[in-house]
Amino acid sequence: MSTKSGFDSRVVIPLGLAGAGAAGTIVAGWSRWGWYTVLWGLALLALAVWSVLREQSGGATGGASASVETYLHSRQAFSDAVLPVWCRHIENSRSQMEQAVSDLAGRFSNIVDRLDTAVHVSSHDNARDGQGMTEIFSRSETQLGSVVGSMKSAFESKQAMLAQIKDLERFTRELRDMAEGVASIAAQTNLLALNAAIEAARAGPAGRGFAVVAQEVRHLSSRSAETGKNIANRVGLISSAILAASEAADRTAAQENSSMQSAEAMIDSVLHDFRSMTDALVASSELLKQESVGIQGEVGEALVQLQFQDRVSQVLAHVQQNIERLPELLREHSDRYHAAQILEPMDAQPLLRELQKTYAMAEEHAVHGGSGRAQPAAAAADEITFF
Amino acid sequence: MAKTIMVVDDSASLRQVVGIALKGAGYDVIEGRDGADALSKCTGQKIHLVVCDVNMPNMDGITFVREFKALPNYRFTPVIMLTTESQESKKEEGKAAGAKAWVVKPFKPEVLLGAVAKLVLP
Repeated sequence: MSTKSGFDSRVVIPLGLAGAGAAGTIVAGWSRWGWYTVLWGLALLALAVWSVLREQSGGATGGASASVETYLHSRQAFSDAVLPVWCRHIENSRSQMEQAVSDLAGRFSNIVDRLDTAVHVSSHDNARDGQGMTEIFSRSETQLGSVVGSMKSAFESKQAMLAQIKDLERFTRELRDMAEGVASIAAQTNLLALNAAIEAARAGPAGRGFAVVAQEVRHLSSRSAETGKNIANRVGLISSAILAASEAADRTAAQENSSMQSAEAMIDSVLHDFRSMTDALVASSELLKQESVGIQGEVGEALVQLQFQDRVSQVLAHVQQNIERLPELLREHSDRYHAAQILEPMDAQPLLRELQKTYAMAEEHAVHGGSGRAQPAAAAADEITFF
Repeated sequence: MAKTIMVVDDSASLRQVVGIALKGAGYDVIEGRDGADALSKCTGQKIHLVVCDVNMPNMDGITFVREFKALPNYRFTPVIMLTTESQESKKEEGKAAGAKAWVVKPFKPEVLLGAVAKLVLP
């Protein structure tokens, strides 16, 4: 304990006693007891000086110890304060990244699903409609061909009927000839009857009966001539009707032929357009399918790439675990100091070894070994082992 | 009827990615966040195959496979380990636990689907 003036009481008191003893000895004359007092005072003085010096030496040691304590305490407080914040940031980043990648994968999943649905519907429609359309096309083609065939057949029937009608003309001609034959016979009969009447008149009363017969034959020939004329007239009418019908049928046939050709051309045109449309539909559906396969391949590749999150997350987790271990290691270091009063140098190797033990990927070992930036692992088809 | 595959991974995004691949191939998918969560979901329903990560919290993949294969209903259910681990010692652990295949991440969907198609129960 020091006085305010800088003198220590442990020095002043023995020095005072020794001084007082020496002064008493001088005043009382030099005696043995006086010398004892001086020696005792000097011994106390020496003890006091030793005590002060020791205390001063001990004070320096105690100050250093306090500094170390302060440092260790602050170091622990530092690590306790900083490292949890770092870890929370890492954890937060990890979870954000995981959430984002998970959402991204979900979006890709939706894209693939919707693409699948679109392709499925398209394929189904194409299979149903495309195939259906092809079937409809074939059926329509057959049916329309059948219609055209029926029309042709009807046309040919009409042509055959027309030919038969034209054949009737021949019969009417024959009928006309026959009518003319009848008229000719009637004329000759009339002439014959006339001659018979002349001969009957020349025969006198004996020829009266014959004259009656001749008269009747003339009547008959007149009626035959009349009938022949009527027949010729009727045949002429029939012939005219047949001719008119034939001409009308010819005109109709020409129109029908033209219509049929026009219909055939239109049917061909419609079928061609229909075929073009179905071909285009099938081609676009096929293109959609190919594009879909391409996009699905791209999405598959993206899914491989998205797995980076798992690897990065693992690395961050390992580093975070290692960081979280640091305060404990610092505490253990402090504890060892308190136990042995020896401040050991910090050794990074145990912590690094702990970190190394957590590694799961080759790239972590590579980075740890300091071999530069490790290439992210690529998906490898041979990385599969069957047991 | 679609076959059911259980996907066990602590990474939601990985479960999502695996799920997309499997659902795209026509499988039904049930998910487990880790070994313990997955085990709690093994209640006797038919599971045709399991795809399982190795490093997971609560219960790791190897332990899960061991306990899963001990359940009477799932003794013969095949398990594919899907992990970033590629060490032979780990593979041996997986094999010993009862896994049938080991696929290293990152995986190509067609590779995983090939393994699934090869192993899935009829």
